[in-house]
Amino acid sequence: MTERWGMVIDLNRCVGCQTCTAACKHHNDTAPGVQWRRVLDIERGTFPDVQRVFLVVGCQHCAEPPCVPVCPTGATKQRADGLVTMDYDTCLGCGYCAVACPYQARTIAHEKEWYYGQETVQEKHVAHDDRVGVAQKCNFCEDKLDDAKARGLTPGVDLEVTPACSASCIAQAIHFGDFNDSESNVSQLIRNNANFQMHEELGTDPQIRYVYEAAGIAGRDDEDPEGEAEGPLSGELQTLWDYRAAMNFTLGGFGSGFAVIAYLMHLLGALPETTLTYFYAAAAAIMGVGLFFVFLEIARKLRFALVILRPQSSWMTREVYAVAVFFPAVLADLIWPQGALHLVVALSAAGFLYSQGRILQAGTGIPAWRVPAMPQMLVATGLFEGVALAALAMALFPADAPFTAWVPAAGLVLAVLNAALWWRYRGAARARGIGPQARRELARIGPALHLVGHALPIGLFLVAFIADGAAPWLGLGLGIGGAAALVGGALWKFTVITRASYSQGFALPRMPQRGSGARAAPVRFEAP
Amino acid sequence: MTTRKKVPAYCYQCVAGPDLMKIEVEDGVAVRLESNYDACGTHPGGGRVCVKAYGLIQKTYNPDRVQQPMKRTNPKKGREHDPGFVPITWDEALDMVAGKLKEIRDKGILDEQGYPRLASTFGGGGTATQYLGTFPAFMSAWGAIDQGFGSGQGVKCYHSEHLYGELWHRAFIVSPDTPYCNYVINCGNNVEASGGVVGVWREADARVRGMKRVQVEPHLSVTGAVSAEWIPIKPKTDAAFLYGILHRILHERDWREVCDVPFITNDSNSPYLVGPNGYFLRDRKTKKPLIWDLGDNEAKPFDAKIKEPALTGTFEAAGIEEGPDDQVWTHKKATVRPAFQALLDHMKPFTPEWAEGECEVPAERIRSVADEYLAHACVGETIEIEGVTLPFRPVAVMLGKGVNNGWGGYQTCWARTLLAVLVGALEVPGGTLGTAVRLNRPADSRHKSVAPMRDGFMDYPFNETTKQGWQSKPHIRNAYRTLVPLAANSPWSAALGPAHLPWLFQKKLPNNWPKQTKPEMWICYRTNPAISSWDAPEVAKRVAEFPFTVAFAYTHDETNHMADVLLPEATDLESLQLMRLGTTKYTEQFWKHEGWAIRQPAGDKTVDCRDMTDIATELADRLGLLEEYNAAINRGAAGMRLTGEGFDYSLDVTKAHGLEDIWDAVAKAASHDLSDGEEVHGIDWFKEHGFMLKPYSQLEWYLYPTLKKQGLRFEMPYQERILRHGSQLAERLHEVGIEWWDKQLEEYEALPSYKPFPEIWINYAKEVGRDPAEFPFWAVTSRSMQYAWGANVGIPMINEVAQNISGHKGVIINRTAAGKLGLAEGDPVVIESVAGVTKGYAVLREGIRPDTVLMIGQFDHWVTPFAKDLNLPSLNTVSSMSLSLTDSTGSGADLARVSIRKGEGPRRAA
Repeated sequence: MTERWGMVIDLNRCVGCQTCTAACKHHNDTAPGVQWRRVLDIERGTFPDVQRVFLVVGCQHCAEPPCVPVCPTGATKQRADGLVTMDYDTCLGCGYCAVACPYQARTIAHEKEWYYGQETVQEKHVAHDDRVGVAQKCNFCEDKLDDAKARGLTPGVDLEVTPACSASCIAQAIHFGDFNDSESNVSQLIRNNANFQMHEELGTDPQIRYVYEAAGIAGRDDEDPEGEAEGPLSGELQTLWDYRAAMNFTLGGFGSGFAVIAYLMHLLGALPETTLTYFYAAAAAIMGVGLFFVFLEIARKLRFALVILRPQSSWMTREVYAVAVFFPAVLADLIWPQGALHLVVALSAAGFLYSQGRILQAGTGIPAWRVPAMPQMLVATGLFEGVALAALAMALFPADAPFTAWVPAAGLVLAVLNAALWWRYRGAARARGIGPQARRELARIGPALHLVGHALPIGLFLVAFIADGAAPWLGLGLGIGGAAALVGGALWKFTVITRASYSQGFALPRMPQRGSGARAAPVRFEAP
Repeated sequence: MTTRKKVPAYCYQCVAGPDLMKIEVEDGVAVRLESNYDACGTHPGGGRVCVKAYGLIQKTYNPDRVQQPMKRTNPKKGREHDPGFVPITWDEALDMVAGKLKEIRDKGILDEQGYPRLASTFGGGGTATQYLGTFPAFMSAWGAIDQGFGSGQGVKCYHSEHLYGELWHRAFIVSPDTPYCNYVINCGNNVEASGGVVGVWREADARVRGMKRVQVEPHLSVTGAVSAEWIPIKPKTDAAFLYGILHRILHERDWREVCDVPFITNDSNSPYLVGPNGYFLRDRKTKKPLIWDLGDNEAKPFDAKIKEPALTGTFEAAGIEEGPDDQVWTHKKATVRPAFQALLDHMKPFTPEWAEGECEVPAERIRSVADEYLAHACVGETIEIEGVTLPFRPVAVMLGKGVNNGWGGYQTCWARTLLAVLVGALEVPGGTLGTAVRLNRPADSRHKSVAPMRDGFMDYPFNETTKQGWQSKPHIRNAYRTLVPLAANSPWSAALGPAHLPWLFQKKLPNNWPKQTKPEMWICYRTNPAISSWDAPEVAKRVAEFPFTVAFAYTHDETNHMADVLLPEATDLESLQLMRLGTTKYTEQFWKHEGWAIRQPAGDKTVDCRDMTDIATELADRLGLLEEYNAAINRGAAGMRLTGEGFDYSLDVTKAHGLEDIWDAVAKAASHDLSDGEEVHGIDWFKEHGFMLKPYSQLEWYLYPTLKKQGLRFEMPYQERILRHGSQLAERLHEVGIEWWDKQLEEYEALPSYKPFPEIWINYAKEVGRDPAEFPFWAVTSRSMQYAWGANVGIPMINEVAQNISGHKGVIINRTAAGKLGLAEGDPVVIESVAGVTKGYAVLREGIRPDTVLMIGQFDHWVTPFAKDLNLPSLNTVSSMSLSLTDSTGSGADLARVSIRKGEGPRRAA
């Protein structure tokens, strides 16, 4: 049987000394600020009833790693022995794996840096230029494991082939071994000691298990939210996907939604073919700007083409496939307008829009993204934005895009649907594990979103629908309603992507109970 | 083609070592470092090194290193003056230093006051010695050197414990027998951060085994974090807490039932009768202390056949009392009581309720800790170690530095040792052990240092306080022989004296004290007192007053900023030395092996540095001291005598020997000695193999059998000798008109009385004309494992990983207390005491008392590259150094009363 490498970390032993952190930095030559292995210092409770725990974290080499399927190039892979590995030469540095990881295990170092600000002779020897601008993380000291195989040694037993953190640990807190071998040290440890997997509920089946002596105080839900607002358990704001990514989701939604709506209008006979192809061109331009922004986000731009390598699992690859169909189809449709091309454009746009929804949802590391309704929300918003752009176009170019009541009618339905989806998203946020900082950000935009993004379009679209094109000034209302809907869409997408995108944070569902004293058999202890 | 090798070496950056490592070298560059796994079966910490060792690579290639010898061009010295260092050659540098030394030698090595003209200060705890090469041989060849200028000891070490520990059980450092101990009351000892690899290793094993540790400290330290319970005690009141426990055991529980009565009776001075003047009642003829025999109803010499020694009660007996200065009281019939009765009477007032009032620990909690301690003590049980049956008492008390130093130190050390005595847990498996001797001789064996004195205790080399013997004129500037009888007079004593006094006295001489001259040359090595001492800014000013300072310099730093010559020595991974391994030492290094390890150059040198051995040889040669120098090496100044039973590897004293030759001789002598000539290895063998070991019996860990063999008792609980020395010292000092040591003299009590110790620090403000109410907070410090001892504050990788642990970004403040001050996480704060001001950023935590703030480590650097930009606060800038904060052993405590307010500027970035 193949091995399944994993670790057992004894919370009762770890003292937070960071010897493993340093040993890892040595063995793996990591750059300044990059720590594949680190130990957190966590405090729970309030004075004087306080617990302080040191928590070893890093890549958990999940059996179901969320980082692997999302990678658009296949740079992140899972080996037969369970190791989740990185191929630096095919990584784009898109950061998708990093936001997909619920364990904050991945780093992208965008610049080459040196500890003293200038390269020392030693740093020259241990430089890894291939790691600049790509994702990196713990690889369980892959080289040592392979070396063990070649030499017939046993990792976890023979220290020279044991991952550096485990071998170096001065408290014997980090045990490494083969979970598929029922007699291995790690298998015995988990058989004989109560243990947990971090974020077990996410279904990642992490291969690091934490041993604790006895059930202690409960995890985060029991703690006061103010204390929760700081510290490693509450997560950090991710910064890899910034406004550039948000631009893609915003403009991508605008453009793809617009293309779909335009096609539907055309089908209903409400949009002339020429205008349709113009609308398609406009949609492509809007999407193109969004894609340009996301291109800027990629660290290794020259490797962009590698993004096509993972259609079997990555929605990012699939999004690119949709793009690859959409743009040529739009161009072709401009030159040879015909029904089949109209359909191809609309279908590829719809595919793009849906892909975006799935992309965000697969960001497993970000509770505000990974909700089940995320594709529906993005699709519903994209369509709403498409309607809004159509309304805007009718207001601006009444000659080319004559008024049709279908637009305000669809707008009304979609506005209500979007409001309802948001309402449900916000309402279920806590239950979905979205942390307090993120919830605060979501709450902050609630009134503006409902007012501008939902109520205003509903009001104006309703008037336009009832008036049914009776007066030219109604076009203005339609335009304002459309613009308001776009503002609303952009507002929530920017907020969710850049401001509410707190990482999962770490979890400590069980605290160790240190030194029970039970073994000392205090038979003489009688309280007088 | 790339050449690769792994080079074995040792790490002794902190006293908790040595630990063994291997350095990976590629093409002459040391690239990585790892534990030496060859030692995982013999080294008691699994052969591992700790995080600090990993900083050594960056330390070696730090571009901020002093690249070649430098000399000062600006004659003005001080923090504000740029020294104007300019490069010189080694030849010029050594000429300068040797020239100055020659000039001093020509005048005489002692000055007109009788003080050595040459002074030196080395890094703490003897760690420097393991990097000094043969420099100690040069010092020996030179003659008298004043090694009494402190760099922080007295507050940064376990000072009171060092002195009392050696007196009571040959314990320069006191340690629980962790592998066997089941219950530890830990008053502030941060062993998980300061106990090194072995400490962490053994404590973790003990935790998993089920050892329970109750951590008693104002701040929830790393050690507190991994303890079963945390008791947030008020700073400096640990003695009250321990007295409350003692009261519980002696007065609320039935001590006859729960204590180890045979041990108390036969192995302590509890039954010794105490006369009306507080001295032992002695037999008129033999002068031996008397014990009341209830069987025969008479007093008998302690070593006579006694049927039933009395521990309690009062008796009428005849005898003499020997007071101070040959004063003798003859009693025909005096009312006397056993020392144990005196103890019972003494402890009567210290109820848990009283203790609660002092230390703010609920009385019921004190009771439960006392009861748990008794419950775990296993009185009456035995254990077999290597075929020998010994008592088994798996309970211990640990003391932190701030707890056992300074005022209150005597009380806590005494209470801790007494708690062990009461249940028979002193120097037996599971209990409280000593690890090494530094004041008693011979230095290499605790057991050999056990010698009887006439009262039935271990002898102790007190400094004389008799009229004839007292050293009225200090021989070095910290006057340890004059002021501190307990400091003894070993090579370590200078550093263990009141090592801050020279700095104080250089500024202002106290009344009727000999004029203090400045040393004409001061050498400093692996130390930075201008940042590490208590009241460090003041020390920096004194250092600036020295006329000629030679600093072995790694980077520019706050102390060598005042130097005249900078000598860049070959550092940890660049120089050659052998070090003794094993036996028992520091807190937790209890080995089952002993032997030798090597430290050797790993990569090619990148700066123009020299090995300390070469520097020492060169200086000896230039000064014409080669013969004395080589003779000192032959005598063992490099760690091993070169001649011994059946071997002679001694050096030709007339020649200057090369580095390799010297250490080759040491290697051969060491391996010959270790193996009785079976396996003689030169230095090349050590370079390849790293270390050489032979088994060492675990029985050597325990001193109790050795005392039993010699029929000796522990000198507990009654401190007659301390009382006598104190009275005599008072006489001596008063005879020469010295009254400024009177408070310290009050501490010489046979049974230490409790004082409200926090008041001493609170009221210190009044002494300097300030209102104590201005400074409502306690400021304390805590060990940072990543930084401690390592001189690695300029190493960015260490800083990076240390940031993962709370407190490395600023000053730790209780969240609620901070809220009341309007402070949020990361806010800039100003911490002020009567001594100074330090600045940093607020780190809000729940694990600290609301009346206490904590600054980790010692920072506040103002010139050390990298470190100076860390903007971290330091207790050393706000702690006061003064006579009134100095106890009778010459130590202070690392704390201060401070105020806190919001500072200027932006919040610290997350």
